[in-house]
Amino acid sequence: MSATIAEPRLVLAGQWTLFWWKFRRHRVAVAGLGVILALYLVAAFAEFLAPFPPDLPNTRYTYAPPQALHLFMDGAFAPHVLGYKVQIDPVAMRRVFVENPAERIPVRFLAEGPAYDMWGLFPMRTHLIGVDRPGQPLFLLGADRLGRDLLSRVLYATRVSLSIGLVGVTISLSLGVLLGGLSGYFGGAIDTIIQRLIELVRSIPTIPLWMGMAAAVPTSWPPLRTYFIITLIISLIGWTSLAREVRGKFLVLRHEDFITAARLDGLSDLAIIYQHMVPSFLSHIIAAVTLAIPGMILAETALSFLGIGLQPPIVSWGVLLQESQNIRAVASAPWLLFAPGAAVVTAVLALNFLGDGLRDAADPYA
Amino acid sequence: MRDYIIRRILYMIPTIIAISVIAFTIIRLPPGDYLTTVIAELSASGAAVDSGTIAALRDRYGLGDPSYIQYLKWISRIVLHGDFGLSFEKNVPVNALIWDRLGATFGISILTLLFIWAFAFPIGIFSAVRKYSMGDYVVTFFGFLGLATPNFLLALVLMYVSVRYFGQSVGGLVSPEFIDTAWSWDKAIDLVAHIWLPIVVIGASGMAALIRIMRANLLDELYRPYVVTARAKGMSEFSLLLRYPVRVALNPFLSTVGWMLPTLVSGEIVVSVVLSLPTTGPMLLRALLSQDMYLAGSIILIASLMTVLGTLLSDILLAWVDPRIRYQ
Amino acid sequence: MPDPLLRIEDLRTHFFTPEGVVKSVDGVDLTVTPGRTLAVLGESGCGKSVTARSILKIVDRPGRLVSGRMLWTRPDGSIADLASLPPTGPAIRAIRGREIAMIFQEPMTSLGPITSIGDQISETILLHHPISKAEAKSRTIAMLRRVGIPDPEARIAAYPFQLSGGMRQRAMIALALCCAPRLLIADEPTTALDVTTQANILDLMRALQAEDGMAMLFITHDLGVVAEIADEVAVMYLGRVVEQASVDAIFHAPRHPYTRALLRSIPRPGSRARLEAIRGSIPHPLARPAGCAFAPRCDQAIPGLCDTTPPDAYPTEAGSVRCHLHA
Repeated sequence: MSATIAEPRLVLAGQWTLFWWKFRRHRVAVAGLGVILALYLVAAFAEFLAPFPPDLPNTRYTYAPPQALHLFMDGAFAPHVLGYKVQIDPVAMRRVFVENPAERIPVRFLAEGPAYDMWGLFPMRTHLIGVDRPGQPLFLLGADRLGRDLLSRVLYATRVSLSIGLVGVTISLSLGVLLGGLSGYFGGAIDTIIQRLIELVRSIPTIPLWMGMAAAVPTSWPPLRTYFIITLIISLIGWTSLAREVRGKFLVLRHEDFITAARLDGLSDLAIIYQHMVPSFLSHIIAAVTLAIPGMILAETALSFLGIGLQPPIVSWGVLLQESQNIRAVASAPWLLFAPGAAVVTAVLALNFLGDGLRDAADPYA
Repeated sequence: MRDYIIRRILYMIPTIIAISVIAFTIIRLPPGDYLTTVIAELSASGAAVDSGTIAALRDRYGLGDPSYIQYLKWISRIVLHGDFGLSFEKNVPVNALIWDRLGATFGISILTLLFIWAFAFPIGIFSAVRKYSMGDYVVTFFGFLGLATPNFLLALVLMYVSVRYFGQSVGGLVSPEFIDTAWSWDKAIDLVAHIWLPIVVIGASGMAALIRIMRANLLDELYRPYVVTARAKGMSEFSLLLRYPVRVALNPFLSTVGWMLPTLVSGEIVVSVVLSLPTTGPMLLRALLSQDMYLAGSIILIASLMTVLGTLLSDILLAWVDPRIRYQ
Repeated sequence: MPDPLLRIEDLRTHFFTPEGVVKSVDGVDLTVTPGRTLAVLGESGCGKSVTARSILKIVDRPGRLVSGRMLWTRPDGSIADLASLPPTGPAIRAIRGREIAMIFQEPMTSLGPITSIGDQISETILLHHPISKAEAKSRTIAMLRRVGIPDPEARIAAYPFQLSGGMRQRAMIALALCCAPRLLIADEPTTALDVTTQANILDLMRALQAEDGMAMLFITHDLGVVAEIADEVAVMYLGRVVEQASVDAIFHAPRHPYTRALLRSIPRPGSRARLEAIRGSIPHPLARPAGCAFAPRCDQAIPGLCDTTPPDAYPTEAGSVRCHLHA
């Protein structure tokens, strides 16, 4: 006991070291962590990684299929893609693109391309990959109905979708910790009221509720405002599981000896909460937060997919998927469905694996 | 048991009131008052708008009154007359529109729930008993995949597969030729041939979650002392497994219906938009997009109420199965 | 001496953990005589519970019976080696609950939580006897009455959480004795109970033993309980029986230094001598001493012998002792 008070940093370090050791044993969780870090890097450097701005149309190449990236030419390293030839499908009577082996379009690294502002601050022209001349097709994941590069759009959408997860979970966490903490620490009538509130929120089907609120957001609002209000709407419902987690931990800890000891030492409620209780369940909270992010991402995706969440020109995974609402479009251009769909599944899968590993590592008895 | 049911019903009352307030708030959320909407709608439909109609509407919805009066007028008409107001878009009572659709939504949700239980239960048991076996890993992998795939995405993928490789669309609950016909054997068979797709699609993520819950619950119970006692009595492994740990693990499993039902109803609403099912989803979305708020608000209100009711039923079922709750 | 009911020879049960092999039971010899009570005495972790569970082959993974014989005399006089029976097969299941029954330490968690105690008992009777449900029920009621549960006709419908700790342990005893086993293994049945209830339960068990003539293998760490109930005592230390003798011999003429140290560590009425704790602590299960396991804590250990060579079991007037001093 005295050691805990005298050397909190030492004890805390021990706890986190143990946590890390246990976490490392879960290989899938470590892999999930790697994927998530990579995705957030993509989100951070989307402008640089994308060959084009997300809304740059190229009307010659509407619904162009994905190109294969060829790495070698005549045995030498020379990454390139093949241009398109347009043919008319005699059966379906529509245009189809086929590869044109005669037209080789070199793919340059750190190429000068369309101008953009990095993080909205620094004007830049350099892209990770690009083509020599503007207008040359480079559609590694295909193009959409306006001939926009789907790869670029998915990369930009990663920023929006993943940040909604983070911002949303921050709001949810604040609400959850506040209400769950009040509920668990004080108990009694406060606890009953908050528990009823949680049950109420959980008993309502979320999608109709989200739809009702999101549909009230005027389409005329500027994109940033829409973004924040949608995030807020999503997190207003997502806080309950975090609140339950926090409350459960508070209830258990409230009767622990070291909390009683701290109280007898005359520490204030707030000091006890922040110095003793929070550190001892922080790892659980981190795990719960990680597991709450996928719900946020999925909620945004569903709302935007229905056309009542984020609106173009914002690009999120859900907004991209909205284009595939029309099954005819999907049948002829399946990449519209599979590219953003794969992004959603990968991110959610990785977050779930990571969260599971964190939760196991946080639980000393598992 | 009776006390328990009465207490649960009493607990439900504030929830129901809160839900009605939320639904009413949603009705009022879009900017501008409804009268503007109504007049806009009426003139758009070419009807002559005289001042008498407007005054009647003003009185009916309590426009100009404070919000709480409006709420009271709205809720008392619902409670006393079952009158949910008018659908402005279609200019018919909400009542005439929603019940078939709600019935279909809940029918599909409940079928999905049964489907999930029927499969998640044995698979979860298998996964726990054969922990870390090849089969367990396969189940776990598909479980995570199911959790990570939004159900509308799964619906789209399945539709793509059927259009691309089987050359047919799989939307709807019955084939087009049956839509307006009376019920017959052929129609029923056609319904069964269609309904499995939404059920599988809506159920996928819930099934994945429930398998994981059943597995975790059973793993919690599998090494308890009472299992050793049963083994020491001479029971066979299979019968002691079903008689003791599975029975105990079953209860938290059943209690998941409390949050399963809202999730399934949510899932059904999104998926039905994709698969164009004749359920509440497309109607709610359309009502919201055209700001037909009485229709939208009523759908949200009733879907939520039915969910709460379903949760209540599941709680009573749970108390009936678990003596520890019954005798509390 | 009559023929033994159960003879355990060189029983070894090891736990194969990721950290290494824990030899919980490492060469135990025991003999149980019909109608008599053998108490197995030892500190927690000495392997006494694992020994008990090994007999019924209900050791949880990663534990496994490695070697040894457990010769059990069947009611028809034939001898079965329990060690060789497959742990989930019908042969051992016919013996479990019917010929050898077991009661456990924690009556709350050892009874199924959402099955009525009546169902749990009559289910056992039906498992081993071809009788009707009604008959099983009346036998259950009779059994509950025998263990002193008041109003048994009503109590058969009770759930474990509705009973007090003492009543639960009585129900547990009824469950164990409902098929009139020839051997009852009791794994610290009174440890979780308060002292008065403890005495009642011990009295009950002794009375039932006298009525049925069954043998008991009584696992405990409590010398007072041993004095109360045992005919014979086996003292275990770190996976081995270090001394087996009659209860009188153990209390009045203990041979093994560990037994003596144990006896010195309990208070005696009238004695003003200071209590002595045993020096040092039990070695880590993965770091067993090379010679006699007790040598590092033994005042009389002979350097060069006790710390290098494990002692054999040497016969004494009342039993045997595993110690170089008695070679």
